Amino acid sequence: MPAGTPVAGSGDEVVRIQGLSKSYGTTAALHAVNLTVRRGEAVAIIGPSGSGKSTLLRCINRLEEPTEGRIFVDGLDLTARGVDINKARREIGFVFQAFNLYPHLTAQGNVRLALRLVLRLGSAEATARARAALDQVGLSDKYASYPSQLSGGQQQRVGIARALALEPKIMLFDEPTSALDPELVGEVLSVIAAMRDRGMTMVIVSHEMQFARQVADRVVFMNEGSIVEENTPEELFTRPAKQRTRDFLARVLRH
Amino acid sequence: MDRLLHYYFNLDYMAKSLPALLGGLAVTVEIAAWTILGGLTLGLSLALLRALRIAPLSVVIVCFVDMFRAIPPLVVIFLFYFALPYAGVALDPFWCATLTLILNLAAVSEEIFWAGIVSVHRGQWEAARSTGMPFGRTLLWVIMPQAIRLVIPPLTNKTISITKMTALASVVAVPELLNQASTEQGIYANPTPLMLAALMFLALFLPLVLASRWVERRFGWER
Repeated sequence: MPAGTPVAGSGDEVVRIQGLSKSYGTTAALHAVNLTVRRGEAVAIIGPSGSGKSTLLRCINRLEEPTEGRIFVDGLDLTARGVDINKARREIGFVFQAFNLYPHLTAQGNVRLALRLVLRLGSAEATARARAALDQVGLSDKYASYPSQLSGGQQQRVGIARALALEPKIMLFDEPTSALDPELVGEVLSVIAAMRDRGMTMVIVSHEMQFARQVADRVVFMNEGSIVEENTPEELFTRPAKQRTRDFLARVLRH
Repeated sequence: MDRLLHYYFNLDYMAKSLPALLGGLAVTVEIAAWTILGGLTLGLSLALLRALRIAPLSVVIVCFVDMFRAIPPLVVIFLFYFALPYAGVALDPFWCATLTLILNLAAVSEEIFWAGIVSVHRGQWEAARSTGMPFGRTLLWVIMPQAIRLVIPPLTNKTISITKMTALASVVAVPELLNQASTEQGIYANPTPLMLAALMFLALFLPLVLASRWVERRFGWER
């Protein structure tokens, strides 16, 4: 099928991952993973370090190139030959663990850049939209601040605003709070929860078990490059089906 | 003391040689301007081409750069002046010297720009590309502003040291400042013109050095 042909029955699915494998040389990071994310769903991916959670997330917008398998985002096959990956990425918002803000631009400048250079908006419209996005994450008083002048939690919120401003169909969060001091974690999580309440489709890789429990519709547990089990938070956390899941939860929920 | 003044600061000979020296200064300034503009533009262009990561292209660029970093500029000037005519290309001595300096500065500045580009954190590329920004726009608006700010000190340093080599042009009879001073010294059998030339070189390049300090300070937005 040529790139761009919607796949039948995809109307409800925002992401469909089929048989995704990723190897770095001889080391396999992902083994034939299958995952579907429906519109409006919030999926949390949990698991130990090295389980492939971040790799899986980064494959969705091809920050990592899959070795095998297919990835469909809103019906478009991102792994097809000749696909316009830049166009596809506009629909996928990505939030990084290390924030990755542009240090030479203000908060407003960070959010504005893609609006001007990717969406080709006019200057006034870009500024308005950037400010709206910053308002949404609670940074109305920080338009002109540089990343170096912001706390970690504020920087991450700018990162979220930067992705949100493009009005993507899905947001991907790669351990959004792992690099933050504990007291700053809450402000970022409430922004994500608010997005969830407004119906944003999202996939969150996180170590915040309590948060996953509250916000996610579905929790996916990964281990050693494969999905071990997935279920509602209630089911997975209280009645895990697999032993590996039980072991992991026992280690992690002790804190 | 009297002898010092007579031989090195002789006002009479300074006045007599001034017109010739001013003419030489104009030529020196011209070589310097071409060198800075041509060298930095070529160097930056080569670094940007290298960022495309097209293997054969990168190999060619690195070969060119390493060659012109390794060969002494004086040797290149002689090759252009004495050897090129046998290949059918007769370059004006002015261009033998200027082209050499341009190529030398291009090679050195390419390495400096490249070091800046690869020093920018990979996460910056990922952040921009993840918003759908194409390669070229990412390089221009996200990477280069950071890369250039990183490398301003070594860049201004090398630019000045290579531009000072305008004096090498005197060996192929280009009528730049040193050449003129040398000639005048011969005419008057007094080294005062050389002293005057030295002061003129200082007057030309010291502002350049001070300007580079200002640039370093102005663009150093380091926390």
